[in-house]
Formats: sequence, structure tokens, C-alpha cells
Amino acid sequence: MLATDKNVKYTTHKRVRMIKDNIFLFLVGSLTLITIIPLFHIIISIVVKGLPIIIKNGTTFVFGTLSEGGIGPAIAGTLMLTFLATLIGLPLAFLAGAYSYEYPNSFIGRTTKMLLQIMLEFPTILVGTFIMGILVIPMGSFSALAGAIALALILTPYVSVYTEEAMAEIPRIYKEGGYALGCTRAQVIFKVITKMAKKGILTGILIGMAKVSGETAPLLFTAGGLYEVYPTNPLQPVGAIPLLIYTLVQSPSIEDHQIAWGAALVMLIIFLALFIPIRYALKDEIKL
Amino acid sequence: MGKYELLKKKIDEFKLITLPAIIVVFILFILMLGFYFYNAWPAIEKYGLGLFIQNIWQAAEEPAKEIYGLAAPIWGSIYTATIAVLIALPLAICYAIFVNDYAPKQLKYPLIIISDIMAGLPTIIYGIWGAFILVPLLRDHLMKFLYEHFAFIPLFSYPPISGYSFLSAGILLGIMVVPFASAIIREAYAMIPSVYKEGLVALGATRYETTKVLIKYVKPAIISGFILAFGRALGETVAVSLVIGNSFNLTYKLFAPGYTISSLIANQFGNSVLYKYMTSVLYSAGLVLFIVGLIVNIIGLYYLKRWREHVSH
Repeated sequence: MLATDKNVKYTTHKRVRMIKDNIFLFLVGSLTLITIIPLFHIIISIVVKGLPIIIKNGTTFVFGTLSEGGIGPAIAGTLMLTFLATLIGLPLAFLAGAYSYEYPNSFIGRTTKMLLQIMLEFPTILVGTFIMGILVIPMGSFSALAGAIALALILTPYVSVYTEEAMAEIPRIYKEGGYALGCTRAQVIFKVITKMAKKGILTGILIGMAKVSGETAPLLFTAGGLYEVYPTNPLQPVGAIPLLIYTLVQSPSIEDHQIAWGAALVMLIIFLALFIPIRYALKDEIKL
Repeated sequence: MGKYELLKKKIDEFKLITLPAIIVVFILFILMLGFYFYNAWPAIEKYGLGLFIQNIWQAAEEPAKEIYGLAAPIWGSIYTATIAVLIALPLAICYAIFVNDYAPKQLKYPLIIISDIMAGLPTIIYGIWGAFILVPLLRDHLMKFLYEHFAFIPLFSYPPISGYSFLSAGILLGIMVVPFASAIIREAYAMIPSVYKEGLVALGATRYETTKVLIKYVKPAIISGFILAFGRALGETVAVSLVIGNSFNLTYKLFAPGYTISSLIANQFGNSVLYKYMTSVLYSAGLVLFIVGLIVNIIGLYYLKRWREHVSH
């Protein structure tokens, strides 16, 4: 009697545990699904809303000016800003990353790494207002240069952190081999380690570029916006796709909203075309 | 060995090349902090502590009539970021658990890529989707329902007319920070030594019981993930300013439109040069964001670093 009682207790206990287990699995699975649904909703909405306007305006949409119903100058502006930002930010980022790799335990090395990590999380709007105060107001006008410098400040920590991490993954033995051959520290790091870590560094550069090409907040008070003619002079105001979308979304007119959706689709395509190959090329974790 | 070569050995070439970059990074940081302090000072001097605890926004041609108080945007920033973290919390943890332990092999890698895409997606894309799709959706299906049936709860008692509100901003921010928080948790979860899991399975623990124990192991990483996500939500600008409604409201009511510090700067900075003190007030708001963001991020990064060191030893 007692034995069966125990048995019953045991089986019910086991059943309760199993039910709990199943509920848990279901919960975890469905919450995971909820997490990723927004991405698909975003992609589908943008395609549905953006595709008609692009088809309607055809190539004008990609090459024409805003009054013609196109976003050509904005695309050119984004390319110009991204290129300039990389040009300005890359040397700074690479050297700072190399330093914090070489001296991870010194005070300056540690502080540099911490500053870079803080910059990575920094509110981007503050970078924009900062550049406006020190560059745009003294120069008297918005400019592509000011926008590019603001973006360079955002690109730098990405590239630095990637450079540092890619270098740290190279086995010590190569460094020791370099020194044993009589190389100086500069030769070991810039010729041996950099070459071996080039894939990781390149990934960092591309991710940084993908990131800054989509930034809006730092451009709000630096780039100015230019949508009726193509940008030619880096000291003149320039437009950008995200900035254009931001302006158009706030406008009350339906036509502007349509252009905004089309521009969002163009941007989404550029981003995915750039990002997915990078992500697939890299099997391990990335930092965003 | 010649004198020249000795000298060359003494001055490290590597340091010589990298030092300018380090100096630039340090100077930029100090310059930025100094810049915000310097520009915020006139407003802090004029309005004192009231600048941060009063809710008032009176722009005037005459400088004497200008009165500003930043309480509403400061509150809005903290409130929306808190809503975002509360929404992101369960989602990010479940996502990390699912990807690490239960996802079938073919699904695991695509899931990681999807979350990375979400983390890297330009914020303006979230913004346009939030303003045109999410806000009407929430207004018609969630806010109206809650307002009609549960208006006696003060949280839901504000009529959701436009839908642009703290709740919309919080939900959009939540969606945006989930992939970021879950990446940190996922990484930490994968670092748990496999002996613990094997031991639990050997004891006959179910999957639920195993996870329950293992989650405790990564608790510090979860906390730091959410501190960093909170910091990110605080600083987000364009997506929030498109959905929050941009008005000075100092309320806990979820359906009321509001302001955050960053959306205030984004909205008002352009015309602030017309007034004597407004620019300085906005720089003070920026300074608040700067300092709060700095503290939040340092705490989060410190926690994470300590946990990583603890695990790797």
C-alpha cells in the first residue's frame, strides 16, 4: 500500500516536472519568435511601401533630384560622407587599436581602451552638437567635412576595438619570432601582426562603414542637407539618405512620405547587401 | 653599435607612431567634456538647480523672459529607457537561451545573423517603421483597448489620440535594444563551462531545471547587458523623436506624448540660435545625457569585464 502510494506520488511529481519543462520550452521558443518578428515586419513593410514609388519613378528615383522625385544627391552625399569619415577615422582608429593591443596593462593603454569602449556606446547626437559647436559655427556653414568628422568619431571606436581584438587573437609565437629575427617593435606590429590580423581589421572597417552610413543624429546639425544638386565641394553642405528620410517623415505631405519609404528601401538594400556578406564571412561573434 | 642606433633603440618607433593617435583620443574626450561644461554654464548659472527639476519651456525674444526647465525631457529619457529594458528583459534572455541550447543546428546560425542585422540596422529604418506602422498599430489595437477597459488604472488613463507616446517610444526602443542585450547574454551563456551542464543532466534535471541553474551563473552578465542596453536606449535619438510626440509632459501616463533629452536636442537645436539662453540650455541637457550615459556605461562595462575575468580564471 505504502509502496504504491509512493509510486503515485513519484509519477505525479515526474509529470509535473515534465509539464513544467514543456511549458518552459514553449515559452522560450515563442518569445524568441516574438524577438525576431519585428525585423520581418520592418522588411516587408518597407518593401510594400517603398517598391511602388521606385517602380513609378524608375531610374529617376535613384539618380534624380528631390524635386524630380529622386534621391540621387542624397545617395551621393552618403557615399561622400562615408568615404571621408573612413579616410579621417581609419588612421586614428588603427593606431589607437594597435597601441591598446601592445600595452594592455599600462595605464594609458587601459584608459585608451576604456575611452574607446565608452565612445562606442556614446549618444551619437552629442557628437553632432559637439562638432556643430567647434566646427560649423566657426566656419559659418554646414559642410560635408563637419558631417564626416562627426561620423569619423563614431567610426573610430568600432575600427579600434576590432583592430585590437583581431591582433590579440594572433598567437604570441609570431611576435616572439619577429623579435628573435631582430625586428623592432614597430616592424613586428605593423608588418607581421597587422598582416596576419588583416581579415579582422577589414571586418571592423566594413562594419564601421556600414554603421556610419546609416547614422542620422550626428548629421542633423553638421551636414546641412542638399537634395537639389549633386554635392561637389566638401566644404559645402551635403545631404544623406538617413537625413533625408528623417526630414521627409516629419513633413505633412503624402508625396514626401512616399519618397521617404522609397529611400528607406534603397537604404535597407544597401545595408543588407553590405552587412550579410560580411557577417557570413565571419563565423564568430561580432560587436555592434 | 653607433650612437644613432642606440638612440633609435631608446625612442621606441612604435610609440612614436601611435602616440599622436592616443593623444588625439584623449584630447577629444577631454575637449568634449569641457565643451559641454563650458557651453552649459551660462544656463546653469542663470537658472540654477531649477533648470533640472522644473518643467517649463518659455522661449522669448527678450532674454529676461526666457525660462527653461528640463525635468520633463530628463524624466522622459529615463522613463522610456526603463520601459524599453523591461520589454527587452524577458525577450533577450529567452532568445539567448533558445539560441544556445534548444535551437536546431540549421536554425542557430540564421538566428544569430538575424539578431546581428537587427542590432546593426540603421536607426532611421526603425524610426520610419515606428512612426508610420508601429504607432498606428499600437494605438488601434493596444492603447484603445486598454484605455476603454482599464482607464481606471492611472497608467492607462490618458486618451490615446495620436498614439505618439511614452509607450510607443519605449516599445520601439525595446525592439531596438533586444538584439544588443541578447548578444551580451548569449556570449556569456556560451562561456559557462560545459561540466556544469553535464553535471546537471547527470543528476536527472529536466531542461527547465538545467537552464534555471545555469541562468544564475550568468546573472552578472545579464545585469551588465541590461545596464548597457539602458545606456543605449537613453542616447537613441531619431527613432524616438519620430514616435514620442515631442511635448513637455511630466507624467507617468503611458499614452501621453513626451520628450526625451536627445529628441529635445534634435527638435530644438536648429532654432535655438534665435534665443539667448536656449542653446546653453540644450547644451546643459546634453551634459546631463553625457554624464548619465558615462556613468551607466562605465558601470555596465566594469561589471561585464569583472565577470569575464572571473570566468576565465
